[in-house]
Amino acid sequence: MHITDMRRAAVAGAFAALALAASAACTPGGSSASSTTAASDVSTDVAAAGNVTIKVSDFWGSAEGEWMTSLIAGFEAKYPNVTIDRTQEDWSQLLTTLNLQLTDADGPCIASANNGWASLGTLAKGGLVRNLDDYSKAYGWDSLIPATIARQNEFTTDFATIGSGSLFATPVARVSMIGLYYNVDKLKALGLKPPSTLAELESAATKAKAAGQIPFAYGSQDGGSAILLGLQALYGTADSINDYVYGDTAVSAKDTGLLDASKELKTWADNGWLTPGFEGVDYNTAVANFVGGDGVFRFEYTGSLGLSADQQSKFGYIQLPQVADSATTVGVGAAPGAMVISAACTHPDVAAAFLDYLMSTQAAQTAVDHGMIPLLHSDVTVPASMGTLSSEAAGAAAVGASDGFVPYFDWSSTTMLDTITAQMQQMYAGKTTPEQLVDAVDADRKTGLAGRAG
Amino acid sequence: MPGPGNDVVRGASLVDRTTPAHRVRARSLRARARWTGLAFAAPPLALYGFVVLWPLLQSVQYSFFDWDGVSQATWVGLKNYTGFLTDPVLRSSLGHVLVLIVFFSLLPIALGLLSAAMLTRARQPGMGLFRWIFFLPQVLTSVVVALMFKRIYSSEGSLNTLLDAIGLGGLTRAWLADFTWALPALGLIGTWVTFGFCMVLFISGTSAIPDELYEAARVDGAGAVREFFAVTLPGLRGQIGVALTLTITAALRTFDLVWVTTRGGPGTSTMTPAVLLYRAAFQNPDVGRAAAIGVVMAVVCLLIALAITRITEKD
Repeated sequence: MHITDMRRAAVAGAFAALALAASAACTPGGSSASSTTAASDVSTDVAAAGNVTIKVSDFWGSAEGEWMTSLIAGFEAKYPNVTIDRTQEDWSQLLTTLNLQLTDADGPCIASANNGWASLGTLAKGGLVRNLDDYSKAYGWDSLIPATIARQNEFTTDFATIGSGSLFATPVARVSMIGLYYNVDKLKALGLKPPSTLAELESAATKAKAAGQIPFAYGSQDGGSAILLGLQALYGTADSINDYVYGDTAVSAKDTGLLDASKELKTWADNGWLTPGFEGVDYNTAVANFVGGDGVFRFEYTGSLGLSADQQSKFGYIQLPQVADSATTVGVGAAPGAMVISAACTHPDVAAAFLDYLMSTQAAQTAVDHGMIPLLHSDVTVPASMGTLSSEAAGAAAVGASDGFVPYFDWSSTTMLDTITAQMQQMYAGKTTPEQLVDAVDADRKTGLAGRAG
Repeated sequence: MPGPGNDVVRGASLVDRTTPAHRVRARSLRARARWTGLAFAAPPLALYGFVVLWPLLQSVQYSFFDWDGVSQATWVGLKNYTGFLTDPVLRSSLGHVLVLIVFFSLLPIALGLLSAAMLTRARQPGMGLFRWIFFLPQVLTSVVVALMFKRIYSSEGSLNTLLDAIGLGGLTRAWLADFTWALPALGLIGTWVTFGFCMVLFISGTSAIPDELYEAARVDGAGAVREFFAVTLPGLRGQIGVALTLTITAALRTFDLVWVTTRGGPGTSTMTPAVLLYRAAFQNPDVGRAAAIGVVMAVVCLLIALAITRITEKD
């Protein structure tokens, strides 16, 4: 061996040794999860806290942002000693940086996370957000929040299970759902009444197609899972979908109505009921098409159409009942954010009071005033001019009456949304069958569950 | 790889060959020169170590763990790396990168060489303008380029309009949503972007080739093709090396084009390792897997760069 080669080898060896030493010496990651809030005294007395500033980071823009702003104003008027310093960030921007922000000593005290393992689960397990059980008792949140909604924010303290255990986030007094929107004028022109069952929807779609209309405004290029999850809620029972998402291995994906929903959707695609060339239509274009009048129906997340005041009443909302039991309504629905209190927050009592305020009757009424669907309180007044909103509120009420809220299906594993999106695209192209889609979903959840156990 | 360190070593072996009487003096001189050199290099080396080498080592460390980025990590050995063999999506993403290398690297370099050869043979007035036009994509932000092509390739985009107009309406489709065509369509965007860069690089390279060589070739009766292979191509070896290194690593790193246009779809037919890395690092917290992908990409880039340097700088 030449002398320079030997030196190079020595340097390379030293680097390798250093890397190994670094790997072995310490394990990345901070404190292991432990609930740090064991016997701390909590207080609901905000005025006693003195002059405090609470930092809040959330991902709500436009109307939702205005809702937040007016609630902050209301809270500050109620407690003049409190200043809320709000930062609004783009949804994905906030979610991808929240773990770093909450580690920062100067970070937010309150933040909106996303439910499920990827966001809230990671933060709770990492000990970055507070266990809220003590505040739940102090404020009586356990009786205010319906069980199906509370489950969405719960983890057992060994972080093996989602959907039971301690409360790590609170909802807010409004809800985001998946349901069926229809174009009021187009339906009227076709001489049809708003469908009240899946069978009626199918016959309406057949008529719309025959009349040269696009039955369903849709695009699958960068997502478009709302239609599948909306259909799933018509087939699967609330219990089966809830249990599946929360990791009950006794339930498999085909028990949750996913197979029926996939088959139904494939038939719709084959019938030509979806926007022509939908494979190449992205989400924003699909929404714009529907609002612009191309398409009679659209499965969509509420609040995503971005309707202006004069577009209200041009679109109606339907929460279809279950196929097997038309007296029961199941719907994908959750508060549009999981409000967490940072473990590093120095004024958790004040922060908890603000979370309580975000769930108050006033917050629900403010939601309605800004055109959003109320949750937790039914004693709110929906203005007559807001036709779309009143149909949405009726849909949410129907789901509430059946105790039929189910979480977003993609909470079942961190990679589920990617898997479903890719599988749907393959199914439309005939590269996979509905059965294979369901198998892929099960495999994805299995991997996710194995990763958490190990 | 050539660098200041190697020069010192090479100098040392020369000094060693001097007579024994001079050795002691030579050694102390050598030592002083080395320390002075190190002292000059220390500040940038420290900075480089802090912002590049240390994070690199950290990534290597992370890649042996199962870690969500927040809570306690668990040691999993090489499991994150075996994903390259067992995970069909990750494996297929490597195949996609090979296709992209053809479009991002080989095709633009071939086209660049061709146009450079043609442009240097017949120098016309206004050539600067052509160069500028072809170079333009290089100065556009990649997100702008991606959005532009997303429109061109869409169902009602200008590509389909053009096909309709020339009677090829049967070929129209949503190009980026087609399992067969999405990857080549993305690749052609890369060709469009890097072609101008390669061409400008090669034209400036040909201007450094002495005119006498071309004259000699012509006197010897070489035609255009012969002249290209005998004079232009050998003269451009260095530039081709640079172009290969930059474009191949760009292909390996492809993220922005895919993220803005297809997000890896339809299905996973345009998935690249960089997109999987981003998802693992920021969306589905699996930092170990993301680090493993990053380490593999870095090693592959390094190996390619080394191989290309070896080949193109050999005399």
